[in-house]
Amino acid sequence: MTNKNTLSTETSTNSPGHAPVVLPDVPFSSNGIRLSPREAIFAAIIIAVLFVLIPKGWCLLEKFDPPADYRVPYDLSSDYWLYERYCRLAADRYETFVIGDSVVWGHYVPPDNTLSRHLNRIVGSNEFANLGVDGIHPVALAGLIKYYSRSISGKNVILCFNPLWMTSRKHDLQTEKEFHFNHPRLVSQFIPKIPCYKDSSSQKIGIILERNLTFLSWASHLQQTSYDSLPPSLWSLEHPYDNIFQGAGIETSADLKTTVSQSDTDFPQTSWQDRGLGRQDFPWVELESSLQWRFFREAVETLQKRKNRVFIIVGPFNEHMMKGDSVQVYEEIKKGIGTWLKNNSIPHYLPPSLPSKNYADASHPLSKGYALLAEQLCRDESFGRIILHRIIERKNR
Amino acid sequence: MMFQNWIFLPFFLIAYVVYLTVKRTRLKNLWILIASYVFYGWWNPLFLLLIGYATVFDYIMVALMEAGRRKKLWLTLAVVNNLALLSFFKYGYFVTENINLLLEKIGSSYAIEIEMSGILLPVGISFYVFKSIGYIVDYYRGNVEREKSFVRHAVFVSFFPLLLAGPIERAGNLLPQIRNTPRLTPQDIADGFSLFIVGLFKKVALADCLAVYVDKVYSIPDEYNAPALLLATFAFTWQIYFDFSGYSDMARGVARLMGFRIMLNFNHPYLAVSIGDFWHRWHISLSTWFRDYLYIPLGGNRKGSFNTYRNLFLTFVISGLWHGAAWTFVIWGALHGLGMVLTRSIERSTIYKEKIPKLIKQILIFIFVSFAWIFFRASSWDDACLIITRMFSSGLADPMFPLLFVFLIMSVWLYQFAYESPAQRFLNLAPVRVGAVIIMILYLAVCTGSTGQAFIYNQF
Repeated sequence: MTNKNTLSTETSTNSPGHAPVVLPDVPFSSNGIRLSPREAIFAAIIIAVLFVLIPKGWCLLEKFDPPADYRVPYDLSSDYWLYERYCRLAADRYETFVIGDSVVWGHYVPPDNTLSRHLNRIVGSNEFANLGVDGIHPVALAGLIKYYSRSISGKNVILCFNPLWMTSRKHDLQTEKEFHFNHPRLVSQFIPKIPCYKDSSSQKIGIILERNLTFLSWASHLQQTSYDSLPPSLWSLEHPYDNIFQGAGIETSADLKTTVSQSDTDFPQTSWQDRGLGRQDFPWVELESSLQWRFFREAVETLQKRKNRVFIIVGPFNEHMMKGDSVQVYEEIKKGIGTWLKNNSIPHYLPPSLPSKNYADASHPLSKGYALLAEQLCRDESFGRIILHRIIERKNR
Repeated sequence: MMFQNWIFLPFFLIAYVVYLTVKRTRLKNLWILIASYVFYGWWNPLFLLLIGYATVFDYIMVALMEAGRRKKLWLTLAVVNNLALLSFFKYGYFVTENINLLLEKIGSSYAIEIEMSGILLPVGISFYVFKSIGYIVDYYRGNVEREKSFVRHAVFVSFFPLLLAGPIERAGNLLPQIRNTPRLTPQDIADGFSLFIVGLFKKVALADCLAVYVDKVYSIPDEYNAPALLLATFAFTWQIYFDFSGYSDMARGVARLMGFRIMLNFNHPYLAVSIGDFWHRWHISLSTWFRDYLYIPLGGNRKGSFNTYRNLFLTFVISGLWHGAAWTFVIWGALHGLGMVLTRSIERSTIYKEKIPKLIKQILIFIFVSFAWIFFRASSWDDACLIITRMFSSGLADPMFPLLFVFLIMSVWLYQFAYESPAQRFLNLAPVRVGAVIIMILYLAVCTGSTGQAFIYNQF
């Protein structure tokens, strides 16, 4: 048996011209544990197996049965393991997925008044799933699709591009000065470089590992659902006498906030003018140099490589809120986007601006706005041909 | 770059694969040197100028010692140069601040103006400077051979596993390993892996965890009552142990993966039964360094009781100053020095050795060491006094000390006691050891963030 307390004396190989060297006896460690090579290999195998099994086992233990109008809860927007799990589940239930930022998610409306819900009402069955994530700008959206949406490969995807992310260099993540932006764990970590993203190389490598090791993204899920998004040590400082294992218990995160209890009363349908917002002159970023547009194109390419049938919606941006040259520049950007989509044979819809009173701010429609957008969309020829036609076909089968 | 950061992973993977490839060639040491400089330069490339200068200077001085007759002159020059580097970068501000304070006290309007804000304290300087001094003195004493190859000498100074926070390995142990090709066995790999994982767990899961509570309480001690201050102090006692011994384990583990055997730096220090015993178990590479290069040259215990006590006290005060440029560190060192002086005779008495139960002695030493840590951790003398005063006068209030921390500390303490008892047989069972390592890795993966705090000892 291996001596656990000391390292045995050994002679090292010598280089020519030097006398044999006897290495000293060195005690092993303080509060240490010494494994033999076999034990180390065994431990590594067990760890590898547990890394695979624990997240899978957790899915069996943690109840998750989202209703038809489910959307990933706002405070779990950064729980990408949950998002991936919802994608897997939704892939079995739905044929078409609406993906995008808070416009798709429905920032100012209850879950049953989002774009996907209105589309479901029009077609008369639950065909569209809301895979929007609040605050997900296209640079992060590209990462979300690349790393966490593999399970919807081959399905219909309605991808929404919100021009809001091009309204300034800051929105476009082009400023050199560091600032806090949404979903840094989804953006490109090293190449291409995001100018305003200055996390340390260590943090970036940690993020890359989390994307590729399900166990780590599950651990992040556990922290978000059970420990207020904190490491358990920090959480226990806030809850010193709470049982930390109870915090991680299945019961706490059991329903994963699937219950839909919100209604229009929780989301006052107040238009941007009634909220006191004024008209703005946006310092738009040029389409050619826009990072957000570049990554949106990358997201489209990823979906196309996965055999998804992609349909793009641009906007609907609140053109009523713009003043000065903003409208003209926006029209040019929209035109440029349309040209690129056309040149690449990507079916799309560039909706006209909705009535002013149907907007809550520069880009988010209110409930009636979503209903109107869904109607316009269903009247669009290419949408009918690419999306509705397949749904009808499937229904008839 | 620190061991517990993710960036260390790709760095080490690249460095290690190349190392294994060139291990048996002449490129081995050159590659270790390149890797070490990348590792160190990652902090700040300017630091390389300093370590490069120190390396060249010491190399020349030892060469001159070998060549000429004025050995003592070159020795003095080399030691003074090393100490000057350390003094300027580490103590420059402290010295000028205190001189100005003194001038002000005696009514002088003169003040030394020195702009230190733009000068960084190079991490690890105290460690590689001490390592170099040790080599130079050992050569002078005839204890080691001169290292003729500049590359090997540079590797000795900058060997990356030991560069930031030691252990302060001796030339007599490290240089022969650098000269030869270390034999790398499967057991070395397993040992390196074991040391690294346990060290990482100590640092990230234990030290960083306790730091959260300690930092909270010690940042505003006037807002906390006796129980919280007491618990924070005991928590810091464990935090600094886990932090530094964790780092040492990782350093030894990385070196072990490369086939290098590095000296033990900690040996269950909180099981010490006397202050002397504590210093045989705590930061062993530093305490033996001070013994060999300061205490013994001062005269050691050879010139009567008074001189022995004086030498002991001085050694501890200087050791305190080595830890940081602040009076609180000096007081911490002086407390240990005073403790050694006052208890040296008692510790050697038959009554203390045989009549007092071991556990009582261990608890007493733990309390003394914890008390001394107050000065080490407090941000100022005033804060330390405030903490001690409030510990005895502020009354009781809920300390809000997390149960998780109690559980972690108790587990380690129990493990420690069991380790030095017949229960060691149980701890040595394969399923227990393998199970413990698996739990540690799972805990690290689930419970910790991607990055941790800096090592406490990096600042020294």
